[in-house]
Amino acid sequence: MNDLSLLYNYLLVGAILFVLGMVGFLVRRNMIVMFLCAEMMLQGISLSLVAFGRYHGNLGGQMLVIFIITVAACEAAIAMALILMLARRSGRLDAAAWQDLREESQPPFVDQGVPEERDEEPVWPHLTPAGVAPPPNLSEQLHRPRV
Amino acid sequence: MQDTISLCLMLIPALPLAAAVLIGALGPRLLKNYSHLPLILALAGSCVCALALYREVGLEQAKSGAQSIAGFEKVITLWTWADIPDAYDLRGTGATAADSGPRAFRLDIALRADALTAMMLAMVTFISTLVAVFAAGYMEGDRGYWRFFAYMGLFVFSMTMLVSVSNFALLFVFWEAVGVCSYLLIGFWYTKPEAAAAGVKAFLVNRVGDFGFALALFLIWCTYGTLNYHDSLPDGSVDAAALEAASSNATAGSPSDAAPAGPALIRGVLGQRRIAAGDYVTGGIATAICLLLLIGACGKSAQFPLHVWLPDAMEGPTPVSALIHAATMVTAGVYMVTRCTPLFAVSPTAQLVVACIGAFTALLAGLIALTQFDLKRVLAYSTISQLGYMFLALGVGTFAGVTSGMYHLFTHAFFKALLFLGAGSVMHAMGGVIDMRQFGGLRRLMPHTHWTFLFGCLALAGIFPFAGFWSKDAIFASLHDKIHELDHEIEHRDEHSHAPAVGQHEGAATHGTSADLHPSPLPKGDGTSPPGPLAKWSDSQLATSRAVYQWLYYSALLTAFLTAFYTFRAFSLTFYGDEVIPHEAGHHAHESPPLMVMPLGVLAVCALLVGILAISNPTNWGTNRLVDFLAGTPSLAAGEIALTKVPEQFHLPIAGISTVVAVAGMGLALYMYLGDRSEARFLQRVFDLQGLNRLTDPQWVLGLERVWWIGATTRFLRRNHLGWLVTLVGYVLAILSLILAAPLLVGNFVTPYKLSLRKFYFDELYAALFVWPLQLAAQIAFWIDRWLVDGLVNLVGRVPPAVGSLMRSLQMGLVQFYALAMVLGSLILIAARLYYAAG
Repeated sequence: MNDLSLLYNYLLVGAILFVLGMVGFLVRRNMIVMFLCAEMMLQGISLSLVAFGRYHGNLGGQMLVIFIITVAACEAAIAMALILMLARRSGRLDAAAWQDLREESQPPFVDQGVPEERDEEPVWPHLTPAGVAPPPNLSEQLHRPRV
Repeated sequence: MQDTISLCLMLIPALPLAAAVLIGALGPRLLKNYSHLPLILALAGSCVCALALYREVGLEQAKSGAQSIAGFEKVITLWTWADIPDAYDLRGTGATAADSGPRAFRLDIALRADALTAMMLAMVTFISTLVAVFAAGYMEGDRGYWRFFAYMGLFVFSMTMLVSVSNFALLFVFWEAVGVCSYLLIGFWYTKPEAAAAGVKAFLVNRVGDFGFALALFLIWCTYGTLNYHDSLPDGSVDAAALEAASSNATAGSPSDAAPAGPALIRGVLGQRRIAAGDYVTGGIATAICLLLLIGACGKSAQFPLHVWLPDAMEGPTPVSALIHAATMVTAGVYMVTRCTPLFAVSPTAQLVVACIGAFTALLAGLIALTQFDLKRVLAYSTISQLGYMFLALGVGTFAGVTSGMYHLFTHAFFKALLFLGAGSVMHAMGGVIDMRQFGGLRRLMPHTHWTFLFGCLALAGIFPFAGFWSKDAIFASLHDKIHELDHEIEHRDEHSHAPAVGQHEGAATHGTSADLHPSPLPKGDGTSPPGPLAKWSDSQLATSRAVYQWLYYSALLTAFLTAFYTFRAFSLTFYGDEVIPHEAGHHAHESPPLMVMPLGVLAVCALLVGILAISNPTNWGTNRLVDFLAGTPSLAAGEIALTKVPEQFHLPIAGISTVVAVAGMGLALYMYLGDRSEARFLQRVFDLQGLNRLTDPQWVLGLERVWWIGATTRFLRRNHLGWLVTLVGYVLAILSLILAAPLLVGNFVTPYKLSLRKFYFDELYAALFVWPLQLAAQIAFWIDRWLVDGLVNLVGRVPPAVGSLMRSLQMGLVQFYALAMVLGSLILIAARLYYAAG
């Protein structure tokens, strides 16, 4: 396996990590999970950087990664503290709990809950037993609209 | 700064300023009701310094005597305000050759001591000390007690600086400063709308005058190349020996020499060397300078076109009226014109205008004062009238004229301050009521005020031997001398129509009888005296001046009559008749406290004695210490004005005429107002032309026949077949009534009485001519600003919100959405980058 294809593989893994993190960040509303997703994006980037560093044969990538890790640690401390405070205030970890920060004229975003399941007994269709005349339809006999 | 003069000169303005700053800083919290103490102490200190200065200047004048070039002056430079080397060059403008050449733009803060300044300083500080003492009683309990005294200190500082600076630019600065203090003090009770409006009015009317004054300064600058009064070297030095060396340098070198050896001398506009050389621009420029200066003086001294602010300024506290609007600030115009005498001396036209404006203002204000019911307003108009006298005297243009104007300024300050303080005392007792119809007969209630007020009235009316008599008589005498001199010149020309007119000086001298007793301080050989200014005049100019001055003399006499009349009218209305006390007075209706009576007493003594004490020679009443003192002022000591000096003598006939006129006015007023005042009411109806408009009423005309002597006449005529005569008279009356109908309708507004009562409708006239058009223009400008300019600005302002409202819907508060937008945006950027990189 030559260097270039090795780089491709690493970049692929890094891209997958990044995209997974991004998608997670976009679709999840739990702030901790969003934070973890952001970390995952960082890891994707770090991986790519390491791969490039290795490919080019210097330590620039590694240096940047150590830098990223340091910054990420700080960021984690701040972000977790922030999340903690937000959670204490609202009692929830939902990012949408803070949608009051929107413009005044905007309508609120209301969660549309999953429709509740109906409790009534399901009505299953059943066939008329063979050989039995169907019961007369009284309404059809009394009201004859076409006549 | 070791000598007394310099020290005094600096202390005089510095003390009131220090007091003002002190009161302003500590007044509201610490001093409160003791705010008057620092000011009174400072003013008293200033007064002592001013008297010392007066004495020192007198001694110096006596010492220097004939060896000085032109009088005595001492200039001290405190610091340099601005100094820009080689800032301008007046070559090619109207400047004389000696004044052109590269000059530095240099403004020194320089104070001067000379006779005129010393006199003004002594007068201002003395009066202001007394007024401050009075005000301590008058303003007691006022909410703005400390504010009042702080303003007053500021005013005295500005006024003393105004009279002691030695530079036109600084004169202008302090000219404005006293205007500001006047504004602040007129509007002292700013919660009263009239007071606030009066302050604004005074300020705005003064702006008109200041505009003319500023133009005059520009013209002086362009003509003489400097704004300094005094001579100086280019480095601002005023050392006498250096100046002497420089001036001898300049005269030794050829006059056309562009680069003299020593440092060039900068001759001040009113510098001793320029005055001695008589090096003044004549003709149109001189007249323009003088007339523009006159506009400024008219504004500050409330002369005819700009006199409307002074009566309204009476809204201020009465001590302010006494100090600023009677004794000191309003005389700044007179002071300025006197200071600029050398400028006015070269323009007979300007002098004539000054005299005419003065006499007209005096007459106009005298007429208005006849019918006013507001005691302070009567005094205000009398101030305008007396200032008119001063301008008349200045406009005479002779040495006697100018000095008599200053002398009248001096005496007037005492008795007018006395009258105003007396009015303030009355107002204090009457609970702020000043309408003479609402009180009367106060002589028993306020005996001290009554007596001191009487002294002021006698002095104002010009009754012997009060101060006003002497100064007013000096004005009349100078006017008479001027007419005499013009007569003499006309006769002289008639006799030798081609001979040079050198003799007017001797001619005037023969007129005097005591010439040998009182040689003038500046002896000039009669044979070598240069031709007087009149020699340059044309015949028609002489004749015109002669006629004008004659009329001004009559007008001044009439004004003297009016002065005596309205003064004693006010006096009688206030202190005689039935004792009436307005209900506003309450329990206040008693004599003022000693603190207020004391200044009245001092001023009353001054009003009595100032005139007598000024006579230096008991055998010749025409001599005057003050005039002799003023003769040492550089502006008056040399040049054309000094040539018009004649030996002082007392003109008994003139004094007699003016006394008779004054006594007549006084007697008429006392006769009409001391008793039941029915004559006064009758005269009022006559001057209101009541009854004249009945001519237009046919019923009244027909009813005339019921009057017995008319009825008898008509019956007699009819019986003798002369009924057609009656019919003819009837027709004439009918036609007369038709003709008169419209004028009489208008006449209801312009009867002599109503004209006087409504101040000749000057306020209304100015409102129609200036105020309303300006308000209309302001309204138009306001609408344009509101709808056009503001509309455009608002339109621009509405664009960002409109764009923003489009973007606002994106701000929905969901973090995921923002992140998605970011991702999409980056994707688009990356896509674009890739696309273009590939392409």
